Amino acid sequence: MTLKKLLYSPTEMEDAVDRMAGAIQAEFPDGNLALVGLYMQGVPLSERLAEALEKRTGRRPDLARLDISLYRDDFGKRSALPLIRETVIPFDISEANIILVDDVLSSGRTIRAALDAVTDYGRPRLIRLAVLADRGCPEYPIRADYVGFSLFSIPENHKVVVHFNEDPEETGVFEMEWKR
Amino acid sequence: MKEYIFKNARVIDPLRNIDTRGDIGVADGRIAEPAALKNPQIIDLDGKTLTPGFIDLHVHLRQPGNNMAETIASGTAAAAAGGFTSVVAMPNTNPPADTAGAIEFLRQTAAQKGVVHVLPCGCMTKGYAGEEMAGIGSLKAAGVVALSDDGRCIQDHALMRHVVEYAKSFGLPILDHCEDKALAAGGVMHEGKWSVLLGMNGISGAAEELMVARNIILARNIGWKIHMQHVSVKESVELLRNARAKGIPVTGEATPHHLTLTDECIKKYDTNYKMNPPLRSEEDRLALIAGVADGTITAIATDHAPHTSTAKLVEFDDAPFGIIGLETALPLTYTELVAKGVVTLPELVAKFTAGPAEILGFENYSLAPGRVADLTIFDPDAHYVIDKKKFKSNSRNTPFDGWNVQCRVVMTVVGGRIVYDAR
Amino acid sequence: MEWKRKDLLSLYDLTAEEIVFLLDTAEEFKKVSERKVKKVPALRGKTVVNFFVEPSTRTRVSFELAEQRLSADIVNMQAAVSSLRKGETLLDTVRNIEALQVDLVVMRHSAPGAQAFIAKHLSCGVVNAGDGAHSHPTQALLDIFTIREKKGCVKGLNVAIVGDILHSRVARSNIWGLLKLGANVTLAGPATLVPREFEEIGVRVCHNLREAIADADVVNLLRIQHERQAAGFFPSTGEYAKFFGINRETLKWMKPDALIMHPGPINRDVELTSEVADGPNSVILEQVTNGLAVRMAVLFLVAGCVKK
Repeated sequence: MTLKKLLYSPTEMEDAVDRMAGAIQAEFPDGNLALVGLYMQGVPLSERLAEALEKRTGRRPDLARLDISLYRDDFGKRSALPLIRETVIPFDISEANIILVDDVLSSGRTIRAALDAVTDYGRPRLIRLAVLADRGCPEYPIRADYVGFSLFSIPENHKVVVHFNEDPEETGVFEMEWKR
Repeated sequence: MKEYIFKNARVIDPLRNIDTRGDIGVADGRIAEPAALKNPQIIDLDGKTLTPGFIDLHVHLRQPGNNMAETIASGTAAAAAGGFTSVVAMPNTNPPADTAGAIEFLRQTAAQKGVVHVLPCGCMTKGYAGEEMAGIGSLKAAGVVALSDDGRCIQDHALMRHVVEYAKSFGLPILDHCEDKALAAGGVMHEGKWSVLLGMNGISGAAEELMVARNIILARNIGWKIHMQHVSVKESVELLRNARAKGIPVTGEATPHHLTLTDECIKKYDTNYKMNPPLRSEEDRLALIAGVADGTITAIATDHAPHTSTAKLVEFDDAPFGIIGLETALPLTYTELVAKGVVTLPELVAKFTAGPAEILGFENYSLAPGRVADLTIFDPDAHYVIDKKKFKSNSRNTPFDGWNVQCRVVMTVVGGRIVYDAR
Repeated sequence: MEWKRKDLLSLYDLTAEEIVFLLDTAEEFKKVSERKVKKVPALRGKTVVNFFVEPSTRTRVSFELAEQRLSADIVNMQAAVSSLRKGETLLDTVRNIEALQVDLVVMRHSAPGAQAFIAKHLSCGVVNAGDGAHSHPTQALLDIFTIREKKGCVKGLNVAIVGDILHSRVARSNIWGLLKLGANVTLAGPATLVPREFEEIGVRVCHNLREAIADADVVNLLRIQHERQAAGFFPSTGEYAKFFGINRETLKWMKPDALIMHPGPINRDVELTSEVADGPNSVILEQVTNGLAVRMAVLFLVAGCVKK
């Protein structure tokens, strides 16, 4: 790693999450919806989004955690196998308004896998996508409905990383570049 | 015939208790005084060791029946490369050597194709089936030097008694594969810690011990020689030691692999560690070495058992028993026994020469002038890595490929002719 | 921890860390079978051959279901219909299977080490579904999974394995797995079926049932095969049941919360009475359920290491 640049601070992240909550509230004024966070960073993001929504609507949305390792399309191509994490969906998916929550949208492959994974649990009424950072370079025809930051100008070989950490120093949206 | 003088040799002649620097002459296929030779070729051995030709009491030449694995030609070439000038050919060929005709085939083929002396051994029972006595008198007349049902063991003690008695009247020693069939049934390896951990059927040490004890009783009662082939367990060594101390005419041989390997080797399921008797425990191995050192065991024999790679490249349960040994016997035993100080070099040489000769009843097997010029010449200081690709044998079923060993065979002389020369 | 093995041959080969990783992975797979859609696309496009050179129903069905729930394509080969009967060697047969671009071979064979032997020669993955009396790693993993699930941990537990240890691959695999995870293992049964040599690896050997199970947290009962009676290992199944079977009375010798396990198929009234098999201590059917999860985890991890 030769470059680690802070793009957005924790405060800016909080603002962005609140903006996203506002957009969601506009579409679902009754607050009847469920957030499904994707491992890893989608999970803490979904929790923060739920808090922001609760502040605005007074109603806390249902929360779920989803591991998509078993639905990936690059199985066997990666050098290391992913650790499978616990999927927790404590409500009935059928007829629910689902918002998938992930930190960064880049290729769209994770969301493709997440759509398969979620629909294996039931048939939702609709599915929306919320991401904190949208890189604007999807390889699949997948777009986010609620976006915190649009980062269309970051070079493709750089990585955008979102950290939620106890330590505010470690929290933020970062741009990273690895060199061999 | 060519005359030779082998100069500057360390001459070891166990029977005559000679270990000295000297020259050995060869003329007309026999050992001669160097001074008496007219036109000898001089071969300077530069301190390498020269001994009487090695005898292997236990070799499977596979011909007739399995020429893919070995032939008389390839097997005797392997023997020459291993320093052996005589091999006792086990009779469990296909068909078995249980008739004078079969022995005649062996002798004729050996005369045409053999590189070293092939000493025929006949079956004790017809088809080595352990049921009816073979034509032992006719076998003797056809030229067998001993009798054996090797690969199997006569289970019927009364039949065994009669075979030994009958063989005595023809002066033929018995070489017995000691194994109680019921106790060994279905076994593929030594019964012990490793067979238990690997879930394999075991061959208990008791299967051998029982038959060694049986043979000691028969040898004592009948007063005739019974030789225990490939002794593998501690208890057999103890039985032999006690019996020999009492003057009972029993002897035993040990194989290089039982002196160097144990059952633990099998944990990788390499079928080149599958043989019968099986590799035993470390305790057994050490007892065997002690038996060789204290003279309880007077011969080292290879139980050279060639199998094609196809036959061995199967599940461990299904693989045939046996490994080849002619081309690795001397370096393995030298490295394990002499280099580690367990026995002296002359003692080791005796296990390959005077020891087996005595078991076969050969008199005066030595380097005395006038004896047939069967000579083994080797370099005890040479270190090398065993490479099975270089073997003369048709088969490659050895677990010793890649081993670092000491003592290399340099030259083998059979009846005054140099049949192997690695200089 | 990273999984790096393309073959699962025996628990003897695995570290404690690898065993725990397998069990943890299996926990997530157990949930897949509890969903409405009991299937994930993890092995979609992968081909698995179930090659059984020894009859099996339970293990084969469990593997097949595990493969189906992972979305693999499956081919079943039985010894009876395989070319082995025509004199082809095992190695040639599996090389032919591999030439069909198969990713995994799940194999059962009567010869100990048969899978280790073929794995050396194949680039596809090999999962041992039982090799003679040697090893049955997925059975031991599901047993240990069940123990861990019920007891919360494995370390320090007293596990008694009762029955025909001599001929049992289940026992051999359990012993290694349990020892590596820190359990105390006792083997019990008549001396003809329980070799003393196991003591050399730190296992207690005991020929008295009461002594063996008194302090046990888990009692794993192994199937007694009738042919062992004919071979002279014990006089009759009746006598076996009398001295080594678990029934209402002998159950009282155990801790009240001890688990009764059995790899199946059970011989009612030989290893245990119906009362015990169907009673509150028995987790025999849960073992079957867990077997599926464990085999999914094994197939998933192993398939991920097959390089093509």
